[in-house]
Amino acid sequence: MLAALFLGGVGPAAAQPAMPVPEASPLAAARPPDPENGRRIVVDRRRGLCLLCHSGPFPEVRFQGDLAPSLAGAGSRWTPAQLRARLIDSRQFNGETIMPPYFRAEGQIRVGRAFSGRSILTAEEIEDVTAFLATLRD
Amino acid sequence: MIRRAGRALVLLAVLAGALNADEIPPGERLSGYDMMGAEAQAMQRDDFANPAMLAVKEGEALWHAVPGEGRPSCAGCHGDAAASMKGVAARYPARDVPSGRLFDLPGRIQACQNGRQGIAPQPRESTGLLALEAYLALQSRGMPLASPRARGLDDAVQRGEGLYRQRFGQLDLSCAQCHSQNWGRSLAGTRIPQAHPTGYPLFRMEWQAVGSLQRRFRNCMTGIRAEPFPPGAPEWIDLEIYLKERAAGMRVDAPAVRP
Amino acid sequence: MATAMILLPRSAIRAGDLITLKAMISHPMETGFRRTETGGEIPRNIIRQFSCRYMGELVFSCDFHPAIAANPFLAFPLVATRTGPLEFVWRGDNGFLHREQAMLQVSAS
Repeated sequence: MLAALFLGGVGPAAAQPAMPVPEASPLAAARPPDPENGRRIVVDRRRGLCLLCHSGPFPEVRFQGDLAPSLAGAGSRWTPAQLRARLIDSRQFNGETIMPPYFRAEGQIRVGRAFSGRSILTAEEIEDVTAFLATLRD
Repeated sequence: MIRRAGRALVLLAVLAGALNADEIPPGERLSGYDMMGAEAQAMQRDDFANPAMLAVKEGEALWHAVPGEGRPSCAGCHGDAAASMKGVAARYPARDVPSGRLFDLPGRIQACQNGRQGIAPQPRESTGLLALEAYLALQSRGMPLASPRARGLDDAVQRGEGLYRQRFGQLDLSCAQCHSQNWGRSLAGTRIPQAHPTGYPLFRMEWQAVGSLQRRFRNCMTGIRAEPFPPGAPEWIDLEIYLKERAAGMRVDAPAVRP
Repeated sequence: MATAMILLPRSAIRAGDLITLKAMISHPMETGFRRTETGGEIPRNIIRQFSCRYMGELVFSCDFHPAIAANPFLAFPLVATRTGPLEFVWRGDNGFLHREQAMLQVSAS
């Protein structure tokens, strides 16, 4: 299902160094993307959870992670379609990634009762976060 | 279908590689004590500043308490814990010979309460059971954790490692991804430890209480939005056995203090 | 039911020595500001007051407030004058009362 959303090649990243960067076209959302809401999701430890692992230009957030690259300049390094593909399910192109699959509602094991059958973010929220990350330019 | 099988094979190959790749060499193993700040270390070193020692004191009283008329206290059968219980916590979980069941230390205490003392076992995470655990754990302080594999628990070690490497929950993360592959890094400002269970039960400042290893497991599971196994579940015991194998030879520092 | 620990100096004490007494007690120190998962209030349950008497005389006391951590640990100084009893008392919400006693051994200087 989700694989159909990917325009680019999908598979283990380590296998082919020259593989094109995966991309995903916009998800069907009920409203236009809202980058400000995207920012709120990114800094919220219970919604986006992003800053548990990433750091970035968020001076108001005291404790940020260093398990993953800084989000600063993410919008310069990646296109919106590439950012979106990473958010939806990074497993699709890096089987060992620690990045959670933000738009996958099935396939995980022993999902907590409160979360079962739901993806971490909704389609609208994925679009909001994508739109926000695209504004983070060097 | 074929594609999925292909991906599974690749994943298996990656995992097989990872088995050795992320193993922490014995000389580089660090306990939670080694990785915490100097103030927390000082708090643990001073038995009088370590709040877990309150649990030890209560556990000592429970060890000698007669649960009812004609029923033995722990001391009634086992005598002086300093002698009879020395090293016991360092070699748990263990297999019960008659039943073949695997017991962790609290499970063994409960079995004794139920079978020998004829009383209702104290529930896991209750103050009383944690106190007894803390008192027993203290009798192994400074001793090396015994290798479960050397005691014939290979099957449990293997199952436990499977759990350790299994991705769980909505966030789809395994224990190994944090504690073997990213230890020392900062998860929202907290350093990820190597997950060596040398100090349980322990006083965790975040909990403001003494808690068990299974409570720690539960915290991690809910953190990745997974459904924890029930208290005392065999999965927890297998996981503990694997972690004890991984930490074999490290010194017991229970009852510890952690941030 | 609370458990408390009192620590007196381990070395011999002579009259006139300035010593440090330590006292720790098991107590949740529930602030009253937390809520359950369903939004219900968790009622405050804290120790309000601690005092120490040396041969009946009040030598140290303090008030506790909700921001103090669980299992409060106190260390305070005392000038030892002669051998005599020490009494430590913790009082708190819900009629909490815990008392510990110890004998301070002091040799003539």
